[in-house]
Amino acid sequence: MKLNVNGKDFEIKNRPGSVLLWVLRDELGLTGTKVGCGAGICGSCTVHVDGVDTRSCVTPVTQVEGKRVTTIESLAQPQADGTLKLHPVQQAWLDEQVPQCSWCQSGQMMTAVAFLAENPHPSEEQVVDAMSNNYCRCGCYTRIKRAVLKAAEVAA
Amino acid sequence: MATENKKRRWRLSRRGFLIGAGVLGGGIALGYGVGLPAARLKIAEVMDSGIGQPVNIDKGPLVWIDIAPDNGTTFYIPKIEMGQGIHTALAQILAEELGADWQQVHVIQADTVRGPVDSAGTTGSQSVSSMWPVLRDIAANLREMLRAEAARQLGKPVAQLKVMKGFVLVDGASGTGAGSAEGQISFGELIQNKQGAWEVPKDKPVLKPMSEFDIVGQSMQRVDLFDKLTGQAIYAYDVRLPNMAYGAVARPPTFAGKLRSAAKGTAEEQPGVIKVVAEPDFAGVVAETRQQAAAAVTSLALDWDAGKLWQQAEIEQMLEIKDGAGTVIQNDGTGTAMPSGGAGQMIEAHYSSPFAAHAHLEPQAALADWQPDKLRLWAGTQMPALTRGDVAKAMGLKEEQIEVMPTYLGGGFGRKYGSDVAISAARLSRAAGRPVHVAWTRKEEFQNGYLRPPTRHILRATLGVDGRISSMTHLQSSGEVANSFLPAAMTAVMGSDFGAWRGARLHYDGIPNRYTRAQVASLPIRTGWWRGLGLLANVFAIETFVDELAHAAKVDPLEFRLQHLPAGAGPDSTSERLRNVLMGAAKQAGWDTPLPQGRARGIACCTDAGTTVAQVAEVSVEGGKIRVHKVVSAIDPGLIINPDGVKAQTEGAITMGLSSTLFEETRIENGRVSADNFDAYPLITMRDTPEIEVVLLQTGLEPHGVGEPPIGPIAAAVGNAVFALTGQRLRTLPLKLA
Repeated sequence: MKLNVNGKDFEIKNRPGSVLLWVLRDELGLTGTKVGCGAGICGSCTVHVDGVDTRSCVTPVTQVEGKRVTTIESLAQPQADGTLKLHPVQQAWLDEQVPQCSWCQSGQMMTAVAFLAENPHPSEEQVVDAMSNNYCRCGCYTRIKRAVLKAAEVAA
Repeated sequence: MATENKKRRWRLSRRGFLIGAGVLGGGIALGYGVGLPAARLKIAEVMDSGIGQPVNIDKGPLVWIDIAPDNGTTFYIPKIEMGQGIHTALAQILAEELGADWQQVHVIQADTVRGPVDSAGTTGSQSVSSMWPVLRDIAANLREMLRAEAARQLGKPVAQLKVMKGFVLVDGASGTGAGSAEGQISFGELIQNKQGAWEVPKDKPVLKPMSEFDIVGQSMQRVDLFDKLTGQAIYAYDVRLPNMAYGAVARPPTFAGKLRSAAKGTAEEQPGVIKVVAEPDFAGVVAETRQQAAAAVTSLALDWDAGKLWQQAEIEQMLEIKDGAGTVIQNDGTGTAMPSGGAGQMIEAHYSSPFAAHAHLEPQAALADWQPDKLRLWAGTQMPALTRGDVAKAMGLKEEQIEVMPTYLGGGFGRKYGSDVAISAARLSRAAGRPVHVAWTRKEEFQNGYLRPPTRHILRATLGVDGRISSMTHLQSSGEVANSFLPAAMTAVMGSDFGAWRGARLHYDGIPNRYTRAQVASLPIRTGWWRGLGLLANVFAIETFVDELAHAAKVDPLEFRLQHLPAGAGPDSTSERLRNVLMGAAKQAGWDTPLPQGRARGIACCTDAGTTVAQVAEVSVEGGKIRVHKVVSAIDPGLIINPDGVKAQTEGAITMGLSSTLFEETRIENGRVSADNFDAYPLITMRDTPEIEVVLLQTGLEPHGVGEPPIGPIAAAVGNAVFALTGQRLRTLPLKLA
């Protein structure tokens, strides 16, 4: 079957029960999408499917056939000099020095990007609502909140 | 990922240092073997010119600095980065003393190939404090070597040369540390133009005075974040090799369960299966994909002895504090198990904390590549040296045959011990003849690892008629922490478990009679290290009790604490530093200013890893639930290397501690842990995380620990605030209102 990931088509083996997370990580080598609980609870595995934040650990790969899958690896844009230009959300994360271990942060940023696309001028309460389904064990929540609000401000 | 396995040769030099060639050739590397006694510290010399004979040294240097001709300066760091910012902090110390240009600094995780990893592991909030003198010494030596060489090349006396941002400058030169202006030369140029052998200074160099620091003490951005934010950083779960396969391991139905017999069943016939292992003590499957391996494990024919079906009530019994049991770990004045401070009121209260999980979001993972003559291992481990030893023993190999490449950790918190998953991967790789990656599921993390042990505490005190505590006693009981990792003979000699009683000793020097006794229970389920070890539970009990005493004495809880911390004991004394953080947090929180109706504050403090911390929590009760609105924390970790890093660790410890304060617990039911996943073990989220303010205080010239100390006071600070608001005294974690 065909899978469109980060704007490219990939031919992948159609195995029964195959889950998007493992196809991304283990078949395509896109290990920037992380695994935390395998049950859609913690949010570490969040990717976009047609722009909607989606828990890839509970998403059968057949469900995303013909759709656009986007992962953390596509956020930053390659520049002519070979460097990467960070997405405004990544830049806000860097400016606020958000991550500690950072295992959850791909999922946090993918959640934030999808949220900000729908809510470019969020209130603090809306940010809390949107981001309170992602776990961060290191406890970076106060910085995550600041970074989401900052990214919104920068984009405005 | 970088997997080049080139062994660098080192040669002994003066004063026991090691000198080696730069990785690219033409550079210089300076090493320092911390594993050896200080008197035998070595730097060996193996310049590319071939000057000198390589010396066969059994242990390579623990830390080394590598300067390339382009001035790029690489630090090989032995400590593991698990989010605490340690690569950045240690690099700041090196760059400061060396005089390197921070913009040209790179950090590489040392491994058993590129410099041994340290045997102490990355634990106990000790990385900065233990490495501080070592790193400064090696960097200062290299700086002086470069200065001496610059004197030769520039034809100027050493005394006229200073080092700045990767350059050696002649006094008065206009050099700004860029380009090749007159009177300055870059480290890279110096090294390229070097003739003859490098020589370590005869005498121990003078260290840079603190007044000249411009990297240490600054909030440098974390060196690991760009790769992490772009999804490029490699953790143990992410390591890939050509031709790799995936392993899954059979697990007992209970924690006391044992394999009676294992057979392959129909596992070999399942899709994608490459190899099935069914041995007396171990059964697992290697398959083309992770999902296939996990599915095929259920097709093994396994006969389990479930063992005893333990229940929580039996655990509770084992934790009961008994008369005369345990080890006395504090006995000041005339302290005894029953306070005897003379006239006054005897007060007693009991506290407890539950089993808790580490819940690091990256599960255990390792990639093993079994080869005819060696085993290569990429593992998520806080203790690479221990992991190597454990794997060697389990696999019948010599340690020298095993290469351990530690990766970034997706959370450590004391659980990334690494050996169990690495051994599984090694067994499966040996069987399959291919590299095999094994990663635990969240269910395995809850059921098959180890937990934070439950604790019980009896606190007693005599409150004199003057309103002062004349004697105080802490009787503590806990499941094992350190003991479950130590040989039984050693734990028998020690009598108690230093991990379990971390933070248990009464920290108020103004109490004339203090007595603390620790009792350890070897529970049927494994318990062990967890961020701060016993700190969170012990400080919760002590600091809640002190609050109870303050209310009994009708004295403000801040004032009451200060009354029992003698002033004037000297600026470096723990008492003085506890007073400072208490007053610092109280001031920032506006302790004396009234709050709106329905809000209240609580305060608590602790000392740990040489650091003092105090926290003020502001709470309300909404819909019967405790809501924490704001936490102000003052922390004095001695000399601060990276202020924002200290703030981040403090924020993180408070948030993780709040999760324990408000939510986390698990129980034993029918020989299993009651939670399999986060649906039955919710963690704190952004919704319940308060505003956090951190006040930084600095005392003295030495850095102390930061990763764990601030997890100590938070539970008591919140509980004390709840009491101030509601009159309910909550003595069990997690805190639940009646």
